[in-house]
Amino acid sequence: MNQVSVKRPLMAAMLAAAVAAGWPAAAHHSFAMYEPTKTLTFKGTVKAFQWTNPHVVVWVLVQPDAGGAAQEWSFETTSPGVLTRAGWTRQSLKAGDRVSVTFSPLRDGSHGGGLNSVTLIDTGQKLVPSFGKEQPGLK
Amino acid sequence: MHMGNQVIRIALIVAVAGVRLAMAPAVAADATVAGAPVAADPDAINAAPTVKDWQSLAKLPDWSGIWTPVISDQRAQEKSNPPPWTPQVAKQIAHMYAEESAGRPFPIIDHCFPTGMPSWMLITHNAFEILFTPGRVTILGEGDGNRLRRIYTDGRPHPADPDPSFHGHSIGHWDKDTLVVDTVALLPQGYLAVNEAVGVPNNGDMHIVERLHLLDADTLADDLEISANKVLSKPWHTTRKYYRQRAQKYDIAEGVCAQGSFTEAVDKNGNAIFAPIKFHNGVPVGSDSK
Repeated sequence: MNQVSVKRPLMAAMLAAAVAAGWPAAAHHSFAMYEPTKTLTFKGTVKAFQWTNPHVVVWVLVQPDAGGAAQEWSFETTSPGVLTRAGWTRQSLKAGDRVSVTFSPLRDGSHGGGLNSVTLIDTGQKLVPSFGKEQPGLK
Repeated sequence: MHMGNQVIRIALIVAVAGVRLAMAPAVAADATVAGAPVAADPDAINAAPTVKDWQSLAKLPDWSGIWTPVISDQRAQEKSNPPPWTPQVAKQIAHMYAEESAGRPFPIIDHCFPTGMPSWMLITHNAFEILFTPGRVTILGEGDGNRLRRIYTDGRPHPADPDPSFHGHSIGHWDKDTLVVDTVALLPQGYLAVNEAVGVPNNGDMHIVERLHLLDADTLADDLEISANKVLSKPWHTTRKYYRQRAQKYDIAEGVCAQGSFTEAVDKNGNAIFAPIKFHNGVPVGSDSK
């Protein structure tokens, strides 16, 4: 995979209880295994954008603070059908994209999180998973 | 046994109500003869539809398009109108809510089996579409590998001893512009769920009656009556709503649940393959996680 060229991960843990209410829970399982009151932001490089049911996963290589080899992290979110209604496509992210990912981490310390948003560093475009507007006739 | 009574009871309901069966072919006429309970005919065939059968579809309400669930209403109803659980089940449910709050959600649909009935209609976040063909209404969903309901509207009764399945055996009829669906033969292991972490297997003998109808031009309602005497103290009445979308970009996406357990890779021969993802407690994690 591409060499990781990222800045030190920004470990911005903060209380964000409001995140829980807006959490786009997935179509497959509860997202309660992610800690909704914690929000972290990592910068890294997309390894793969897994556009699959039941869940879409953004795989990111992150350079640890302490140096050493890049770590692989998974950022899980809802399904392709739901994300399409929120404006995403299969092409929204691709391998090699430099990204800043905001997420709620797994409670057990594994390298995974529930995706809150992902921003493409080179363009500034911010992608936020959501269920989309609750109304008929969406454009 | 149970199913035999079920068949007779439903046949009587149909007969007494004298409802107009959609696309009524000859079989349906027999089913509406008062006082003549219909037993499933083991030699019945699916007759070729006639031009008239196809033309009759035009008289049905327009349910075309893609239907997206009103998720905020699902969540509101989870709180305001919970199922009347039996006391024993209520303890399990309370424990599941506590576990979910503690960050240990019970994996009700992590196994990649279909979400099934009635949980699909109750808790899904994904869209579905509804197809009308002679003698049949078909609901095709999104999100798991076989989210598909076949609702027979040709007047047939339930089979005498149907094989249990995740979506059950469904027969339907039209009451003006409302589709009334009767579903039996659901697997006992299928969940009656109120969210993705809270619910119990129905444990058998579940019976669902639905009334699907438009609330306004682009809102579909499903009024459900769920009888599940192994887990509920009385039948549960609840409604779910869905909004219509017509933009083609919202067409149903294929949902093969097992695909989510793999990532795209290339083997040593250059072939495109699926490679397994590392999972921990049911969620994908980085391959270098402990």
